[in-house]
Amino acid sequence: MKNRRFIALVAALGAVVRVTALEIQLPAETARLIASPLPGYALATGMCYNCHSVDYFKMQPTSARAYWQATVTKMQKTFAAPVPDEAIAPIVDYLVKTYGAEKSTAPKPGS
Amino acid sequence: MKSAPDRRRFLQTSAMLATGAALGGPLSRLLGAADTVLMPFENGERDLVAYPQKRPLIRMTARPPQLETPFAVFNEGLLTPNDAFFVRYHLSDIPTSVDPGAFRLKIHGKVATPLTLSLDDIKKLAPPVEVVAVNQCSGNSRGFFKPRVNGGQLGHGAMGNARWTGVAVKTILEKAGLAKEARQVAFNGLDKPPLPGTPDFVKALDVDHALDGEVMLAWAMNGEDLPMLNGYPLRLVVPGYYGTYWVKHVDDIEVLDSVFTGFWMSAAYRTPDTPGRSVAPGTTAKKTEPIQRFTIRSFITSLTDQATVTVGRETVVRGIAFDSGQGIREVAFSSDGGRTWRVANLGEDLGRYSFREWKIAFTPTQRGSHTLMARALNRIGESQPLEPLWNPAGYLRNVVETVHVEAV
Repeated sequence: MKNRRFIALVAALGAVVRVTALEIQLPAETARLIASPLPGYALATGMCYNCHSVDYFKMQPTSARAYWQATVTKMQKTFAAPVPDEAIAPIVDYLVKTYGAEKSTAPKPGS
Repeated sequence: MKSAPDRRRFLQTSAMLATGAALGGPLSRLLGAADTVLMPFENGERDLVAYPQKRPLIRMTARPPQLETPFAVFNEGLLTPNDAFFVRYHLSDIPTSVDPGAFRLKIHGKVATPLTLSLDDIKKLAPPVEVVAVNQCSGNSRGFFKPRVNGGQLGHGAMGNARWTGVAVKTILEKAGLAKEARQVAFNGLDKPPLPGTPDFVKALDVDHALDGEVMLAWAMNGEDLPMLNGYPLRLVVPGYYGTYWVKHVDDIEVLDSVFTGFWMSAAYRTPDTPGRSVAPGTTAKKTEPIQRFTIRSFITSLTDQATVTVGRETVVRGIAFDSGQGIREVAFSSDGGRTWRVANLGEDLGRYSFREWKIAFTPTQRGSHTLMARALNRIGESQPLEPLWNPAGYLRNVVETVHVEAV
């Protein structure tokens, strides 16, 4: 077959065979949740980092509440994250108001 | 790289990191977060970070690592260097230490003889096989979908082309001896979920596919051991199929007498079961199926958007094309936004699963903006659409891509 050659260069490959363990050290994780007075901030801080870094949030296109609701629910139901039912609503509220479509980009009047 | 002046406008210092993060300035620099890159879509700020065995790559997420290849790499050669090859994990308990002497691969399930093989055993099973093949993430280029789609917001850098060396999965399965009722083969790796209840990342192929002699377990990539983050010491290579099937750190092969129903096959990585695997933008699919082969794509790699060319001077435009393994027959090039097309010259043929280089001379005759496009055609007549197809997960993108250049 044109795309595939059988090679018998076992000796040549032997030259690159590793005999000791390959170990790596991953660089530091730098993303942090954006601080907020919303009650969901503390809840998200206590839960989201347990399984993944939080750079997943800020890269999303501006997304409606339904997306954040579905995502937090997926973490609980599909990925078995121990998120109590009563924590879902405040976490979703924090996420949509901090990273999503309900984010206020302009300073609030009087603040 | 950091000092190239023409890159300065894409690279910003890491001041943004200081906001909302405890780390800033010299400390973040020491930790490797020196530069950022701006992807050309909303919320496209990314750090450029050098991971072990890697040059600085575009970091989408840190835990688990998801790293994208800077697009300029694709103009450096047809094979993507190991230290620039993209990284994609799903779940965060990834291996950071593997002892090749202690590593074992288990083959079990509907087989005559369950096997436990060391790396040495695997390398001695048969003469090594080799293939040059593209690996591409299902969601490569998702960031360009309109309307936008949630998920990993990738540019075009979640793809790469490498020479893979290993053993055909067929050889291993024949050694174990498939039972008559064997229907699918499930592949699992050393990367695990962070919680016991999280669905482990396991992918399955039909028995006929696993036995096609092309699907392989590779231990080398471009003549060297796989980098850890690309699946050391063994990864599945499924030529022509999306990267989701290219399971990393494979240490478990289970032969099943039924269709595998794990989350990553039955719920994730599915496309509409429609012509073009697409639906009307913003709608959902009535019926879905597991994602399969690559769509055909091509890219201009020698000129970036907003590059400058000179009126009356010949510029050789270079790029790459690939498909699911039918083989590229032709690449057409347009310098007038698709009104007229000329056939480009194809370069070296590294095999039907590889990137294929193309080149064409372009001499702008007028000042101003020129809209450049490339469009590939394969040996069974598949080509790239001029208008994008859309699906809810943001997979399979293969619209004709556009590069705007300015002639002066």
